[in-house]
Amino acid sequence: MKIINTSKYCRSTVLAMLLWALAPALLALCPITAYAKLLIDVDNPNLTKMPVAVVDFVSESGGPVSGKDLAAIVKNDLFITGMFQIVECPASSALASGLEPNFDYLAQAGVQAIITGTFQVQGDQLTVEARLYDVGLRKLEMGKRYTARVADHRKMIHLFDDRVLEKLTGVQGCFSSKIAFVGDSQTRELYSMDYDGHNLQQLTRNGTINLSPDWAPDGNSILFTSYLNRNPDLWSLNLSNMKVMPISTRSGLNASGRFSPDGNFIALSMSVKSIPKIFIINTQGNILKQLTNGLGNDISPSWSPDSMAIAHVSDQAGAPQIYVSPVNGGDPRRLTFTSNYNTDPDWSPRGDMIAFTARIDGRFQVCVIRVDGSDFKVLTTQGSNQEPSWSPDGRLIAFTSNRDGAKRIYIMDAKGSIQIPVSPVTGKSPAWSRNNAR
Amino acid sequence: MRTRLIIAALTGLVLVSLLMGGCAKKIVKQPDAPLVPGYGAGGQVSEADMQGVQSTLRVVYFDFDKYGLSQEAQAALQYNAEILKKYPNVSVIAEGHCDERGTAEYNLALGERRAGSAAEYLSTVGIAPNRISTVSFGSELPVDPAHNEEAWAKNRRVYLRAGK
Repeated sequence: MKIINTSKYCRSTVLAMLLWALAPALLALCPITAYAKLLIDVDNPNLTKMPVAVVDFVSESGGPVSGKDLAAIVKNDLFITGMFQIVECPASSALASGLEPNFDYLAQAGVQAIITGTFQVQGDQLTVEARLYDVGLRKLEMGKRYTARVADHRKMIHLFDDRVLEKLTGVQGCFSSKIAFVGDSQTRELYSMDYDGHNLQQLTRNGTINLSPDWAPDGNSILFTSYLNRNPDLWSLNLSNMKVMPISTRSGLNASGRFSPDGNFIALSMSVKSIPKIFIINTQGNILKQLTNGLGNDISPSWSPDSMAIAHVSDQAGAPQIYVSPVNGGDPRRLTFTSNYNTDPDWSPRGDMIAFTARIDGRFQVCVIRVDGSDFKVLTTQGSNQEPSWSPDGRLIAFTSNRDGAKRIYIMDAKGSIQIPVSPVTGKSPAWSRNNAR
Repeated sequence: MRTRLIIAALTGLVLVSLLMGGCAKKIVKQPDAPLVPGYGAGGQVSEADMQGVQSTLRVVYFDFDKYGLSQEAQAALQYNAEILKKYPNVSVIAEGHCDERGTAEYNLALGERRAGSAAEYLSTVGIAPNRISTVSFGSELPVDPAHNEEAWAKNRRVYLRAGK
């Protein structure tokens, strides 16, 4: 699918991409005033939610999608970040004539930003125009127009919302990203879905056990462990032709494969030499390095965003704990001490935190800890919650929970303040794509 | 008191792992070994023999989060070794399993070690290592899908699958 961005307000794409790539540096260098007045300081621990109004999109043509549905996608995207308070405003009050916001009314209602939109359907083509206004400044902050197939209407809204977050926080949203997971039924087939659970797609139909999906950074393939040849081998699934290719089929485990951030290397657990140890292989499957040694069972590697270190599980001290091993040599450093069962580390793309699973009072909970071992926090409380996976912007975490009975994929913001089920089928082992879908 | 118990338990575990590691023998994997008994025609083992062996082999059970062999587990393996000695052409795949608790990936490692523990024990009591291969299924294939202690105890196991 192609989404044509025809917005007259849009900067050139190249400039936008450059800005995106340089965003962290710019944030550090530029005075805050370089951004819109509506800037959310995401690192402020006392962050108060920004009140935002989202008005039902307006259309003269009508058609297979409704303005209410389109607005609902925006509301859901903003809500899940935990950074916004969605203020319900009827369109009749929020909009003045000519679909301009009624700034007086909105300011009185305490609204700081408003999102409005129009859409038109022509055949199977949908054109959406969406706008973000700064209520305080009474100013149009951003306007975008997208044209695509009607079936891709969610994608268009997600793209707009990605930009809204970029405008308001300096970092693009992850609403166009995907989550892969393992179906929790008799056979364990792989699935993928939009981050919010829509557009579910079954990726494998091989009738065997498939485990531990991991997205290639370019989004073109998924690494996974499968018993296709009756042994837990590492495979790669090409998403353009849906063909699978073996990567590592050594005797014993070839499990928990994870691409390095540049996609050139894979860390995995193999027991080819003796007990399960972390190895680094290239994408052809050749062993480049054995990362861990010792008496422990080592599994579940997760790369730091700078590729200099790998967090992993080892039970070398008698029970599974998270360790951090430098990639270029050096002793592993034990990171977790609070529980006697800590597993499934996932290093935040922002680099500062590691999410993991801890056994607490006989149940499993998703926790986060700083890379230096400080600031340990338990994010979940209901049922058992496991297998955290960060969103590409480091603001959300996907995980498995059985709080409502069957295992399902949930997402939450990084503080755990909002937690919602997203997978339309039962499932486990979520893997968030490394980037937004193109 | 509790700390002392934990330390004792940890020391025990380390000792067990040291012992296991110390007497480890190379296990030759047979990647193409059948997962279904009697799979493939030919060979010197009759179908009836194979089914006979499979039905008499005992399942080896494990404690929660452990891969060391209890007295009962060793007795079951000793019993299985005697059967395998009577049928020298029968090979086995030691399939390691865990209960549903814990994380899927760590359970894969745990299942691998359970299978390895069973395979090592069999080889130390005289079964040729090239007759034994291992595979871990982690917590993916429970025999009892219930979510209680009774089911979990049944699911923490090494199943010896007879083949040729």
